[in-house]
Amino acid sequence: MALSNQHDVELFRTLVRAMALDRLMMRLIRAGRLVGFYHEGGVALAPGVAAGFFLDKDDIMWPHYRAHGVAHMLSKRVDVKPYFAEHLGRTEGCCKGRSSFHASFPADHIFGSSGNIGANFPASVGYGFAAKRKSLGQIVMNCSGDGSYGSGRAHEALLMCANWKLPVIFWCEANGMAQHSSMDQLFPTPNISNLAAGYGIPSHIIDGQDLFACAEAAQLAIAHVRAGKGPIFIECKTLRAQEHSVGGVNYAGTTPRDPELMREWKEERNPETLAAAALVQQGLLAQTDVDAIRAAAESEADAIEHYCESLPKALPSIEDLQSAVYA
Amino acid sequence: MKSDRELTLSEAIREAYVEEMRRDDRVFLIGTSIEAGTFPHTKGLADQFGASRVLDTPISEPAMTGCAMGAAQEGLRPVVDYMYAGFAYCAGSEVFLQAAQYHFLHGSQHPLPMVMVGTCGVGRRVANEHATLPYGALIHHPGLKVCMPSTPYDAKGLMKAAIRDDNPVFFLWHTSLMMLKGPVPEEDYVVPLGVADVKRSGSDLTILASGLQVGNALKVAAKLAPEFSIEVIDPRSFEPFDRECLLKSLEKTHRLVIVDEDFERGGFAAEVMAQVMEHGYDLIDAPVKRVCHPHFPVPGGYIDAYTMPTPERIEAAVRGALEA
Repeated sequence: MALSNQHDVELFRTLVRAMALDRLMMRLIRAGRLVGFYHEGGVALAPGVAAGFFLDKDDIMWPHYRAHGVAHMLSKRVDVKPYFAEHLGRTEGCCKGRSSFHASFPADHIFGSSGNIGANFPASVGYGFAAKRKSLGQIVMNCSGDGSYGSGRAHEALLMCANWKLPVIFWCEANGMAQHSSMDQLFPTPNISNLAAGYGIPSHIIDGQDLFACAEAAQLAIAHVRAGKGPIFIECKTLRAQEHSVGGVNYAGTTPRDPELMREWKEERNPETLAAAALVQQGLLAQTDVDAIRAAAESEADAIEHYCESLPKALPSIEDLQSAVYA
Repeated sequence: MKSDRELTLSEAIREAYVEEMRRDDRVFLIGTSIEAGTFPHTKGLADQFGASRVLDTPISEPAMTGCAMGAAQEGLRPVVDYMYAGFAYCAGSEVFLQAAQYHFLHGSQHPLPMVMVGTCGVGRRVANEHATLPYGALIHHPGLKVCMPSTPYDAKGLMKAAIRDDNPVFFLWHTSLMMLKGPVPEEDYVVPLGVADVKRSGSDLTILASGLQVGNALKVAAKLAPEFSIEVIDPRSFEPFDRECLLKSLEKTHRLVIVDEDFERGGFAAEVMAQVMEHGYDLIDAPVKRVCHPHFPVPGGYIDAYTMPTPERIEAAVRGALEA
């Protein structure tokens, strides 16, 4: 099992697109055009790109909320235009413009997101159970951050998935922060994947800034759960180089986080530029190819923006909403 | 009590925290990222009181609620702050079954002084856990006291009353009122739980409204003033509920509109209507009307601006009740 040259280039292209769309979200919220709020992805999107890349359409995924899961959805080859339309409150949004940031792509086996951190874990037990029961070879990519392991629901899910040998990947994009608190302040272990050991779940720690390392870890994890070996835990160590939610404070406890460090991370630990340099060095891409991929991603973002802006705002009547509560 | 000094509603809550923590060293705060002061009402408190009085927790609502409950049983006076009240749903067992029912179930022998705090409210386009108002569900469970201020003055006084109360109190505040300014006295005072406030006197019709909706009710009352004299009452606490204040008002006005931003079914408005039927039937000259969040989940997007009670919907209900 290894990454082909074609994989490398496509992974890179997906990361470039994800980061362009993250910047689009930032432009939109700063212009006051997003309904609700936004949690910037920044330099933390390589794990999300890897998470969905090798999944089949029928595999189940709960995206991590950073960048509102755009990297995850792109990599799972979901058409994200309706998701942007949702963020702009449009009728063509994936939830008809009534959910703000709550994602739903049932045909792509993406059923959720929640502002209640940890909501993914119990649902993933259900996804894993259904996958096992249906025996169609589906697996579950349960993405979260490290902060969500503060929720007891994470531990309940680890236990049940391990005990029932469910095909669930605990894909943890560990950025060392839980909202405005640092993980070393909140957790007694430096590696969140240490928690898996208590449940007999194998785990791996990956450099989350290394796109290709993340992708190899995803391949390995997918092979493990598809083979019926039960859950696996992947911890991608990544970085949050900005505040938790756009416009909020960027503190760790009572201490402001160092802007110089944030700048350094954005410039020197940027997974996109690291991956581009690797691909150019290996001769897989010329610099002109990299430039073309970047330009195409910007055009895609512009096109999505124009598409969404052309749509009418979702303003259904109260009567229509009342008739929409029950199936 | 009058004051020329103005604070935001957040600052008023913060001042109540500071005064109560200084007054009583058993009082402490616990919540997710509370040290960083996510919302302005906890800003700087960790520096002022230290980590043993301002406890930063993981994103662990059941554990932080249970921690508050256990500490209260052992004699401390915790304030557990969820940021958004919608996050407290994660601790449903601790809130509704454990904390609420502890005192009664165990022979009414031991108090449980704890305050639960969270913002809520429709109209910020974010839906679900960041918007849903839980007070209908909270008052359905005996053992909890539940309040929500509409002014900075009430916020400080209610919070101080909540912290001094020997029962679990859920203190709700409306996200859209966070930066509302108003006079707040510097001195110590409480707004007792269970005492409503007449925000505007009138003689033709009574509007009962809470939180953000008090402002909407007052707008409607002012707009209709050339035609009708409308009284606006803020219950300030849903449980205990100041029924006497409302009945006294109905002795004058004989007409009632209840504005309730929470869901319509089985909620606070329905409860007030039932109590008026039971205790004030003879006072009422027209069917009581309610303006609530309709019976569907709180949506996000551009929709919540008109699905929540608006001045237009309130005015329509008021005219309907006056013309009946």
